[in-house]
Amino acid sequence: MSAFTLLGFGPGGWGGALLLAALTTLALSLCGFLVGAVLGGLAAAAKLSGAAPLRLAADGYTTLLRGVPDLLVIYLLYFGGSAALGQVAGLFGATGFIGVPAFGVGVAALGIISGAYQAEVFRGAYLALDRGQVEAARAVGMHRGLILRRVVAPLVARTALPGLGNVWQILLKDSALVSVTGLVELLRQAQVGAGSTRQPFTFYLAAAALYLAITSLSTWGFSRAEAHARRGAP
Amino acid sequence: MIDLDFLATTVRALLGGLPLTLSLTAGSVALGGVLAALAAWGRLSGLAPSDWLARLYIFVFRGTPLLVQIFLIYYGLGQFRPALQAWGLWSFFREPYWCALLALALNTGAYTAEIFRGAVLSVPHGALVAGRACGMPRLLLFRRVTLPLAARQALPAYGNEVISVVKATSLASTITLMEVTGIAQKLIAQSFRALEVFVCAGAFYLALTFVIIGALRAVEAWLSPDLRPRPVARPA
Amino acid sequence: MLAPSPTRPEAVAVRDLHKHFGRLEVLRGISLSAREGEVVAILGSSGSGKSTLLRCINLLEVPEGGEVVVGDEAVAWRARRGGRVPADRAQVDRIRSRVGMVFQSFNLWSHRTVLENVIEAPVHVQGRKKAECVAEAEALLAKVGIADKRDHYPAHLSGGQQQRAAIARALAMHPRVLLFDEPTSALDPERVAEVLRVMRALAEEGRTMLVVTHEMAFARDVAHRVVFLHEGRIEEDGPSEQVFSAPRSERFRQFLARGE
Repeated sequence: MSAFTLLGFGPGGWGGALLLAALTTLALSLCGFLVGAVLGGLAAAAKLSGAAPLRLAADGYTTLLRGVPDLLVIYLLYFGGSAALGQVAGLFGATGFIGVPAFGVGVAALGIISGAYQAEVFRGAYLALDRGQVEAARAVGMHRGLILRRVVAPLVARTALPGLGNVWQILLKDSALVSVTGLVELLRQAQVGAGSTRQPFTFYLAAAALYLAITSLSTWGFSRAEAHARRGAP
Repeated sequence: MIDLDFLATTVRALLGGLPLTLSLTAGSVALGGVLAALAAWGRLSGLAPSDWLARLYIFVFRGTPLLVQIFLIYYGLGQFRPALQAWGLWSFFREPYWCALLALALNTGAYTAEIFRGAVLSVPHGALVAGRACGMPRLLLFRRVTLPLAARQALPAYGNEVISVVKATSLASTITLMEVTGIAQKLIAQSFRALEVFVCAGAFYLALTFVIIGALRAVEAWLSPDLRPRPVARPA
Repeated sequence: MLAPSPTRPEAVAVRDLHKHFGRLEVLRGISLSAREGEVVAILGSSGSGKSTLLRCINLLEVPEGGEVVVGDEAVAWRARRGGRVPADRAQVDRIRSRVGMVFQSFNLWSHRTVLENVIEAPVHVQGRKKAECVAEAEALLAKVGIADKRDHYPAHLSGGQQQRAAIARALAMHPRVLLFDEPTSALDPERVAEVLRVMRALAEEGRTMLVVTHEMAFARDVAHRVVFLHEGRIEEDGPSEQVFSAPRSERFRQFLARGE
């Protein structure tokens, strides 16, 4: 069978399965990114807060996650999550290995990993904030929530955008690691195809091409967003 | 409760994977450095074919996951086994170690090329003009002016890249190589004590990271004589 | 300029104001008030506490001692950690929305156009209708002479234009008092006049203004009253024609001799 029929959408073609898996990769990355944004925002707030224990905890979190291989984090959550679930189930009398949902593990892992990177991005953007503009908001009588929503958040988002773009690219590529849990995302689907057709090169190349398409589209999207956010910048 | 015996056994087992982690790191950083220098030269040469070749290399290897690159080389090239055997390359591509090393080097080379390129471009124009004005030939100018200034500029980003190579070597475990993460994974699967093993293995990687950061600071100080404290004039 | 009648009510007042930063005492018992329609110029060398005084009035700084009264409302305090804070955040926001502030460095919101800067607080703090605010903002921008810049972002304006936009932003809140914190100090010399012209027009309208400034001509010709601060205390306070022709304080005399 030629590579075209193999990767096509006809009978015996793997095109549809690969595209579907690419969507899973996107969904996985997107969810992980959002979880990471929440964790990163919290960690950045903790780092910037006056409370020493909070700062210490956040510093520990970002140092640890940026120094330890991402694969190790995935193993921890996958096996650790199963063990924890097993213990809980044990309380109810169940025995044996209990699998955790692989998508959930993937989202949690990517969220925890990218949160550490996003924390630094948010922190840097907040520190670059022009205090005078915040003061002007206080001076017209805006309350804290309003200042956060109308002034601080838009200004921080603008500054953070290029950094967030980098984190997103790293995360997209990291999402391939989740294939070790058996979740059928793009790389795992390519593995399955490679195994059942004995044409590994064709399938991994196809996966690489799809990843390249996604990362290129992301680059384009982020540069559009940055151009939009830069309006009004000198 | 902390099971010290288990931790000690774990640390001892993980220690066995350290040489492989270190050798993969050193090998791919060295080979990647050469690839990066070539690619950066290609981008800066002003020659269209080498520029495009370098661009393509950087684009592909930065745009796809390292794990896909590893699988493509280790499993994918198996598809061309007869041809590779005919060329005498099969004994290389049959070995997971060499495949992992090659993939890691190609990957880090692409990222490092951009770091090198940015650093060379950051050298102030005036410094080059001054060198030319006193008659330095091109190679001498590169060696005596561009290289030291660019090296200092590149160092922080290059250090981060080396740290990420240390972490990236963990992916070698997916093609049967038992480096630190591979051993950790095996221990977790056997014992189901994910947290303890994670803490031990994580400590290994953090320690490596700190060693690299320390080494980097030393090199940075060595490369920045102008930032050292002024020499104190000795009384006559 | 003709001073407002002494029977007009006080628009803003501070009594025995104290403020320190760490060990540094910046304000050491300042009492000052302005009647409705009065223009008060606050002079002093740098570090005399004049900017801090303005920032205490709209509570951007919390004074450790003394009273702040805007209109008929006195700021309520409660004790905290050996010091004090305003007791009621809503009151602070209310007072701030009645006190317009113009900063030395403009502090326009860089992510919003000039028009959006002007309508931001009326819409989101005062909860007024957007269409009404836009119409009013356009009139204000015409008044300060930058109607054609309504859709520009602050970074694309000159310093003088930015400061005039900031004045329009302050006016949009219908403030009872306008505070100017060295409004021309960050401007190129050729841009100073256009901002002073706008401020003079506001004074002639009968606005209540407290102006920290180094512009002696403005203090002499536009202000009704001049207050001179030195090391956190008021050294001189009187009608402008009087303090310039016959200053009572030796320090103010020296200040005038150095400055001119």
